[in-house]
Amino acid sequence: MEEEEWNNKGGPGAGPGSGVWLGINGYPAPRAPRPHSLHSSVSPALLSSLILLVSAPALAARRGRQTEAMLTLLVLTAAVLLGAAPRSDAIVIYTGWERHALVGSDVRLSCSFFSWRWTSEDVTFSWSYRPDGARDSISIFHYTGGAPYVDNKGPFRERLEFVGNPARRDGSILIRNLDFNDNGTFTCDAKNPPDIVGRPSSVRLLVFEKVPIQAGVITGAIIGVVLGLLILVVAIYYLMRFLVARRVFNLSVSKHGKKGKGKEGSQQRQAGPSK
Amino acid sequence: MLKALSGICFLHLTTIFFLFWATIDDAWWFTRNQYTDLWGRWVMENNDDVWVYMDIPTSYRRDYLQAVQAFAVLSCLFAVFSLSMFVYQLFTLGKGQRFTYSGVLQLISCFCIMVALSVYTDHFHRDEKNGWYGWSYIMAWFGWLLTLLTGVIYIILRKRVD
Repeated sequence: MEEEEWNNKGGPGAGPGSGVWLGINGYPAPRAPRPHSLHSSVSPALLSSLILLVSAPALAARRGRQTEAMLTLLVLTAAVLLGAAPRSDAIVIYTGWERHALVGSDVRLSCSFFSWRWTSEDVTFSWSYRPDGARDSISIFHYTGGAPYVDNKGPFRERLEFVGNPARRDGSILIRNLDFNDNGTFTCDAKNPPDIVGRPSSVRLLVFEKVPIQAGVITGAIIGVVLGLLILVVAIYYLMRFLVARRVFNLSVSKHGKKGKGKEGSQQRQAGPSK
Repeated sequence: MLKALSGICFLHLTTIFFLFWATIDDAWWFTRNQYTDLWGRWVMENNDDVWVYMDIPTSYRRDYLQAVQAFAVLSCLFAVFSLSMFVYQLFTLGKGQRFTYSGVLQLISCFCIMVALSVYTDHFHRDEKNGWYGWSYIMAWFGWLLTLLTGVIYIILRKRVD
């Protein structure tokens, strides 16, 4: 049966865990691992300082030989952790994860890096572009020797501009007048000699026709109105109770037998039931 | 009294659980290679065990879908309000009085999820023969039943001597 076949293929139960998320216009956005933002030398230092901070006051409060021994052990451990932590010379590059833009508009793709060394004069930035569905990427921008070189033959000729500041480790580019053909992955690779070992980082560009359907305007409006009405009703109820208790409003029966509300001043009427 | 109390609380928590799951999980309508609704759609193209999450297609009536979303969320909210109101009234109500406010809030939640379900049933997937309703939809109906039940219980229940 068709249904059984489908179930055996690992039906809905297997869905969300192994899924692929799509962007706004339906192109798959594969999930690649992000570069680590915690450097391997920072976390042992943090850990050891944390241990010291937390335990030293507690130990210092108690005196005695045992606590002295424990304190020295603690300090030694911290020193070992700090000293043994490798100072990785890898450069870490940061770009965005995804950029959304309207067709015809401009988009700024940012790229910056972290490196333990000072920014050298030979710092280089390199952007390459791989269209959606293509296998190869082409190089569209290169900054080296203090001068930017933009694409003058490829798909971005006369549309690309360098808006970064290499001295501040910023290698961002600006692409003007976007088209649907510009959907793809842009990869930034930065090198800061002698710190050249690193993994390039990619940002996906998604170009679409109009601002995405404002999801949930009606939803939010309905929820807001209903909750607002609820709060209003509660507030009015408490207000009426407060006012009636203060005898500002007095529900009384008039001479002609009609029930009426009358606003009274400080005088209080003895006659007439008041709720 | 304690047994009745814990029974009611358990029932109410089950209600909240059902309503939240029905609202959050995108499993109102199933077909052979997709399950969908309320917030998004999971599609398995090419039968290759890869589920892809897509936006609800623009062929849906956007305003009706958002109305269903709004009322489903509201029913969850009112069920939670009703629970906190019940706990509050448990401590502040005088003996022999009824838990009217909790009951009223729970019945409002019942009304909201009923509106959501009715609009959904009437406006979406009416002519589609090769699909069926999923577990979220069924759970929403159970949530409706349970909110109705607990709401009526709260209105009838009287606080007794502990």
